[in-house]
Amino acid sequence: MVEALFVVPFLSGILSLYFNENHRKILLMVISIIHLFLSLMLWFTHPQPWFESYFKLSPEGLLVLLITSFLFLLITVYTVNYFKASDMQGKRLFICFMLLFLSTMSMAALADHLMVLWIAIEATTLASAPLIIVQRSKKSLEATLKYIMICSVGIALALLGSLFIIISMETGGVDVNISFSELTRLDAQLDPKWLKAGFIFILVGYGTKMGLAPMHTWLPDAHSESPSPVSALLSGVLLNCAYLGIFKTNRILYAAGLETFSSTILIVFGLISIIVASIFILRQSDYKRLLAYSSIENMGIIAFGTGIGGLAAFGAILHLIHHSLIKSALFLSSGNIFLAYHSKQIKQTGNMIQLLPKTFVSFFGGFAGISGFPPFGMFISEFCIIMGAFQKGYYISVGIFMVVLAILIVGLARHVIHIGFSPTNQDISFKERYALVIPQYIMLLISAILCFWIPDTLHRTILAAISTIGGGF
Amino acid sequence: MMHTADMILALVLVSVLFCLCSSRMLILVKWIVFQGIAISLVQVFFHQQAGVENIVFAMIMLSIRGILIPLFIYIAVKKIAIKREIEPIVGYHASLFAGLLMMVFAAFIGKKFNLHSIGSNPFLIPTAITTLMAGMFLVMTRRKAITMVIGYIMMENGIYLVGMSLTKHTHYIVEFGILLDVLVGVMLMGIILNNINKTFDDIDTTLLRSLKD
Repeated sequence: MVEALFVVPFLSGILSLYFNENHRKILLMVISIIHLFLSLMLWFTHPQPWFESYFKLSPEGLLVLLITSFLFLLITVYTVNYFKASDMQGKRLFICFMLLFLSTMSMAALADHLMVLWIAIEATTLASAPLIIVQRSKKSLEATLKYIMICSVGIALALLGSLFIIISMETGGVDVNISFSELTRLDAQLDPKWLKAGFIFILVGYGTKMGLAPMHTWLPDAHSESPSPVSALLSGVLLNCAYLGIFKTNRILYAAGLETFSSTILIVFGLISIIVASIFILRQSDYKRLLAYSSIENMGIIAFGTGIGGLAAFGAILHLIHHSLIKSALFLSSGNIFLAYHSKQIKQTGNMIQLLPKTFVSFFGGFAGISGFPPFGMFISEFCIIMGAFQKGYYISVGIFMVVLAILIVGLARHVIHIGFSPTNQDISFKERYALVIPQYIMLLISAILCFWIPDTLHRTILAAISTIGGGF
Repeated sequence: MMHTADMILALVLVSVLFCLCSSRMLILVKWIVFQGIAISLVQVFFHQQAGVENIVFAMIMLSIRGILIPLFIYIAVKKIAIKREIEPIVGYHASLFAGLLMMVFAAFIGKKFNLHSIGSNPFLIPTAITTLMAGMFLVMTRRKAITMVIGYIMMENGIYLVGMSLTKHTHYIVEFGILLDVLVGVMLMGIILNNINKTFDDIDTTLLRSLKD
């Protein structure tokens, strides 16, 4: 039952190669609906996995899984209509790899064994690389090569880190299954020297995939050169899976009593990411790269919140949810902008409020959301992170954090106002169909609803996820 | 007294040094084949008495690491028709010297983190670290993308050697999954390189500099 979540999309992905074009699209839609249904069932019934030593339903895994399948469904609706509006090449392999990508991401969300998580995350790289290359332009080829080389080398370091954690078990004389859940529950002592080394390598490895700052160089290229639905998937869904690896390892360090070590590193990496992103956002000329750097910034915020722990960890998990919703909405809107203006340069766009009113609503709403303005959930999550940091007495870090966030909002606002309001003499022949804006509206609406009302099960799941890192109020 | 495992580890080190100083692609591929086979054989000779499943697994390893992965690289090299690396960022003699320094460093590290408590071969960790570092060195200092892929394979070989010291927790299915990921990764890299070669007429990474801020 649990394994069906990644087996079904995998098999149907292979199967889709033998279908004709219309059937392939229908298959994609059907599978994403089934996937959402299955993950909702997991959420409420909590069945046991067949391979208990490899997979487990963890609260954070369930959260990421639900985000994955929900956003995948909405992005699928958009993708099918995006095909109609653009003349995208290579649809056959595209749908196959979309499904494989869904399968690998679900596997990452459900994995409990250290190595199985590694296998799943490396597989997400492999399944998503062909999605970026789909346009076969020179730039997309370059971006794909960069993506696959940097991520593979980075994730190889995470494998080394996982091995170090196993060494720490052996030198500490611990004999349990190599799973995150067992290592977190451990009474015995892991060898701290190897555990620390393992954490650093895992942070660098999965941090590469998550887009933390010194290792982020692949991210703007891959996000900007891929078709917009793929950017939305990469940014809104994939980054969460990589974050899971860091989050779970961080919990092992907490359980072993090394939390000051791991939190310091997470806070430093988080702040570096936010600062680097703010520098590049200020002088950006390409709106998709702008959104990509904003993803780096948000991943930095999440790492920062996780590092601080307590109330901030609650904020970090909320931020993860809202970032996925809002950033996907923004990337899908950027797809409409690209279809209309045929350019990714901010200079070539303008006057969106009159030319593309429906997209303007979702793009501007997304901008308000990503900047942390109240009707959207990021307001709450950033507020929690800042309050949590004050509670724990990280005054200098949170000072830097707030100043950089303010700079970021100014930087983003300047570009967004240009796209939305500046006069242009561009002729737009693009017709905004409802199917190309409804998915974004739904995402933003849910983010807004979650700002005012968090369902009880969701609240309990978040608290369960962060209970071991001192989370909660 | 030399054990067989020690001798094979020494051969791995030799292959690392040759990889660092050879400029011809085909020779590089041959050394990768050699390295892959040697590393898979360590698995067999590492344990005092190897069981049947151990040998079967080592044979699967050998066929993937020693044959399939290098084969993809070989096909890519043939299709792209590059014969040699021109003007690496760090020259061959310097690379060789760097390789020797890495060995010294790895021996130092291996002494410091003594793993005798979990009963592993004293040469295993130094060899593993040298292979890993040399792989990263190739990724960073060569201009042709294909040499970078070879560096990535060397890194994976090194990590596999680290993993070999941990026999208690080995699940063959998991090891196989890791290997499958590496295999598919190398295959994809080959395909992308081939596409790039068709579009750019070369796979020199200096040409791939259009995306930046």
